[in-house]
Amino acid sequence: MAEKQKLIEIKNLKQYFPVGHGQVIKAVDGVTFDIYKGETLGLVGESGCGKSTTGRTIIGLYQATSGEVLFNGVSVHAKKTSQELKQLKRKMQMIFQDPYASLNPRMTVADIIAEGIDIHGLAKTKEERMKRVYELLETVGLNREHANRYPHEFSGGQRQRIGIARALAVEPEFIIADEPISALDVSIQAQVVNLMKKLQREKGLTYLFIAHDLSMVKYISDRIGVMYFGKMVELAEAEELYRNPIHPYTKALLSAIPLPDPETERVRRRTVYDPSQHNYKEGEPLEFREITPGHFVLCSEDEYKKYKAMYS
Amino acid sequence: MEKLLEVKDLQVSFQTYGGEVQAVRGVSFHLNKGETLAIVGESGSGKSVTSQTIMRLIPTPPGKIKSGQIIFNGEDLAKKTDKEMEAIRGKDIGMIFQDPMTSLNPTMKVGHQIMEVLVKHLKMDKAAAKERAIELLRLVGIPFPEKRVNQYPHEFSGGMRQRAMIAVALASNPKLLIADEPTTALDVTIQAQILELMKDLQKKMGTSIIFITHDLGVVANVADRVAVMYAGKIVEMGTVDEIFYDPRHPYTWGLLASMPSLDSDDKSELAAIPGTPPDLTNPPKGDAFAPRNPYAMKIDFELEPPMFKISDTHYAATWLLHPDAPKVEPPEAVKKRLRQLSSNYPQPVIVKESE
Repeated sequence: MAEKQKLIEIKNLKQYFPVGHGQVIKAVDGVTFDIYKGETLGLVGESGCGKSTTGRTIIGLYQATSGEVLFNGVSVHAKKTSQELKQLKRKMQMIFQDPYASLNPRMTVADIIAEGIDIHGLAKTKEERMKRVYELLETVGLNREHANRYPHEFSGGQRQRIGIARALAVEPEFIIADEPISALDVSIQAQVVNLMKKLQREKGLTYLFIAHDLSMVKYISDRIGVMYFGKMVELAEAEELYRNPIHPYTKALLSAIPLPDPETERVRRRTVYDPSQHNYKEGEPLEFREITPGHFVLCSEDEYKKYKAMYS
Repeated sequence: MEKLLEVKDLQVSFQTYGGEVQAVRGVSFHLNKGETLAIVGESGSGKSVTSQTIMRLIPTPPGKIKSGQIIFNGEDLAKKTDKEMEAIRGKDIGMIFQDPMTSLNPTMKVGHQIMEVLVKHLKMDKAAAKERAIELLRLVGIPFPEKRVNQYPHEFSGGMRQRAMIAVALASNPKLLIADEPTTALDVTIQAQILELMKDLQKKMGTSIIFITHDLGVVANVADRVAVMYAGKIVEMGTVDEIFYDPRHPYTWGLLASMPSLDSDDKSELAAIPGTPPDLTNPPKGDAFAPRNPYAMKIDFELEPPMFKISDTHYAATWLLHPDAPKVEPPEAVKKRLRQLSSNYPQPVIVKESE
């Protein structure tokens, strides 16, 4: 691969939520990683591990508790003038999980898609605005007759396409897709994933793809990060992660996926992750360390030596 | 093998403002004692309506069983009154739903919801029922059952709630358990636990299971036999090996090919099934899958394909199996799976209506 350029740098990001009685939930607890230009980074983990919160904090839907998110070298969370903020928001867009809840039922498809165009003043005339809408509809595989309809007239897969068209309207560089296919049927999932890959090729988009369906994540991602209880425990290239998982949690997660092959299913053995198996000493520092080039694991100093000996 | 359940030519419709939606259009299958039948299909294929009709949970009106029989234990459930069904539902047939949050009563203690079944169907007294409820919670792997029995559903996590649901469904030792997407809302590690639990309990209690899901990985894991549904009909049915290693219907091919495989690094485009399922208010003429089927022939748009029998256990409804049909190659991803199965007939045979 050519020289990889960092598009997003996430440095020790923390996102805590107060839950009353002086307690806090550490939804994201010190996560550090980069996203390179033009790649798809998959983020997997179980519900409550903080993967969605990470995505939402990166795009600035939450104000980070601490840590930093740099987009093209510019901090997302630092104080900005409204003009600067607008510029930044244009570069980052989001596709949501639920195609039913994320589209305003009282707006036509044309208005939903053109909202970003209007806000950023990307179209000078009414004709130009509609022309953009028609183009976008065709890009995502819908047709121009759909522009004047309302969201309820569409199926789940079609709505997700509208959501993608809306995200593309402001010509972003970076798209966060938070479980974009979880609510769709199997036969429709492949359509949406193919569309996302095609758009990436054509427009050079960068994706953060958040999902719990590991086989889809592996298919679409260049690299994958595994999250567990607010921490990233492993990060590696997609194939590497599946072939040589190092962290015991990643191993347990991979071993739990049922494969569509009855014979392997009859013999598959599941491993179970028990956080106490690490035998960390009280207060032992855990760090995200590189075991083999590009393969990072959250581990202690001792484990690092052990993994290093085992895998390189 | 002894048949526990036999569904014959079931047709279910719903009356709506837009017209009559024919959700299930002539479904026939049987279930043997102690086996697991998986029903796969996308939303709107009629898989949930079929199972809810067996339980007689379809609201009537707007729903209506237009024809067909549901023979369970020698009796036709389609003809039973609501009162008669009350004695069967929850006793001989248990059901687990997708969303454990909405299917447990939030205002009742979990233990109480299990005891309800025991008191009503097994005529236990309260003290005995409570003891049995604790036993059942322990059986489904809930820690500290003595404490948990007095808690409310909101105090349980998603996986624990689903376990509690299973405990409710199994309380009366049902002969048949219908599980409608029981693990779809759960994480993979929790899903694995629930599937292991269900298989384990099946072995202990000899329950027959109808397992509805759209996840083919789960199907491969739990099923003995598989029925693939599309637009209100079963388009292919066979043992789990027949469906995964020798699929014959183009829709089954499409489902198998549209999933990326975990063990290959192939990044070529997924073979998506184009288009969307048909509107069942006006089911299309001919084969309902034809408009989305790259293998469709002229006859598919005119005449519905009959059921062909490929082996004693393997059925598929597609004109491609007709002796006059041209030979076609399934998609690449499916070809990799194909195996010669020795149980196949030399030629597929058309199934006569009367069978």
